[in-house]
Amino acid sequence: MTNHLQKEVKRETGEGTDLWRVILAPTIWAVHFLVCYVGAAIYCEKAGRMADLLPVRLIVGTATFIALAGLAAVFISLWKVRGLSSVNDDYNYAGNTPEERHRFLSHVALMLCVLSGVAILYAAFPALVLEVCR
Amino acid sequence: MHDTKPEITISFGPCLPIAAMGLLLSGCVGRQSALAPAGHDAEQISNLFWVMTAGASIIWALVLGTALAATLGLFKNPTRLTPNILIVGGGVVFPTVILGILLIFGLRLLPNWQSEPDRLQIHVHGEQWWWRVVYRAPDQIEPVISANEIHLPAGQAVEFVLTSADVIHSFWIPSIGGKLDMIPGRTTRLLLEATRPGVYRGVCAEYCGTSHAKMAFAVVVHEPKDFNAWLEDRTSDPNIGTDDPGRKIFLSSGCAACHRIRGLTEIGSVGPDLSHIGSRRTIGAGIAENTPKNLARWITDPAHMKPAVQMPAYRALPPEDIAAIARFLSNLN
Repeated sequence: MTNHLQKEVKRETGEGTDLWRVILAPTIWAVHFLVCYVGAAIYCEKAGRMADLLPVRLIVGTATFIALAGLAAVFISLWKVRGLSSVNDDYNYAGNTPEERHRFLSHVALMLCVLSGVAILYAAFPALVLEVCR
Repeated sequence: MHDTKPEITISFGPCLPIAAMGLLLSGCVGRQSALAPAGHDAEQISNLFWVMTAGASIIWALVLGTALAATLGLFKNPTRLTPNILIVGGGVVFPTVILGILLIFGLRLLPNWQSEPDRLQIHVHGEQWWWRVVYRAPDQIEPVISANEIHLPAGQAVEFVLTSADVIHSFWIPSIGGKLDMIPGRTTRLLLEATRPGVYRGVCAEYCGTSHAKMAFAVVVHEPKDFNAWLEDRTSDPNIGTDDPGRKIFLSSGCAACHRIRGLTEIGSVGPDLSHIGSRRTIGAGIAENTPKNLARWITDPAHMKPAVQMPAYRALPPEDIAAIARFLSNLN
């Protein structure tokens, strides 16, 4: 067991408990959500009930594209950590070392990245269907 | 010598599930069932219900089957990847895809508000515990005021404009479509298209006070030409017998302070409009059959039929006067 852990430590997965990496993807999701919903609310309040939603759909489309591109960048950087760390049997983050914490948090962040991607797509779906503010 | 009676044991056990099923299925028919659709939206809701029931049953069987198989050790020689496939496949990919499909399916069911042709509008104002109903047809100058009963043309989309006077109510005709809240200070809009002529029942679907359960209404769906004739008829005064004794008592007892009768007294607006009340199917907002006897019961003591109702009891009036008012109202059509 000790040898096993030592072997992992030797792999260069980076270290540190950078919480920003964990909340980056959910933050992109939150900003995308606010841009879409607040943008649509302000536009429809100003333009009226029967206004065409095209400008909002463009905003949602652009915001979704930027958000997914951001998520992809985050995902790739996290995937690299995963690629370095999941070569062998190391889904059990048992070691109490900075590297282990880093790998574990990166794994959590990767999962959150997937979740945020799904949430962003779901939030953007209505823009494909709705045509007027009403 | 005693006769020994053979012991007869009757077991109702096997009958119980059948009886329960009968009871359950009885909810699927009738004038107030979302599963017996008579409207475009109700059909969609009903289809959605059956699709989701079937889907949920399949998923339920799959999950329990997997759990059972795992418990019984039926997964022979699982590789290291098996749990990961199950977790990522069953826990992430599968629900994401299913929920995505349901989201798109649900969004596509939204009514098309894009075009706003001149269509019949029915304004319904919820009050504790009755419905003020006003019809506004595109080619009609004067709106038709009514209460506690809604008439609709089959095959035409009708826009309901919903408001509330006091608390949150919810407007729901299960056989014709989905429900929508009526919120004080806001106007909500519902587009419904009845497809099958008949008589249905609508209800308040949001608890709104003591007599919430007694806040209903009859819904009558006509063929379009019959509906137009009905609406045309409602733009004229009801038949009011000038020498009807009930008419005089109605006016002298102060009923007109709260109730309007078109062509007779147009000042009262606190309570339901009573023009053409004789042609309505129910009284007290869908709680009793519209008969002179029930009308007399209602006038004598409304709170007995609908607890906490605002209308005061007229027990002080002689029963023959009450009967005369009831007869007068029954003839208003």
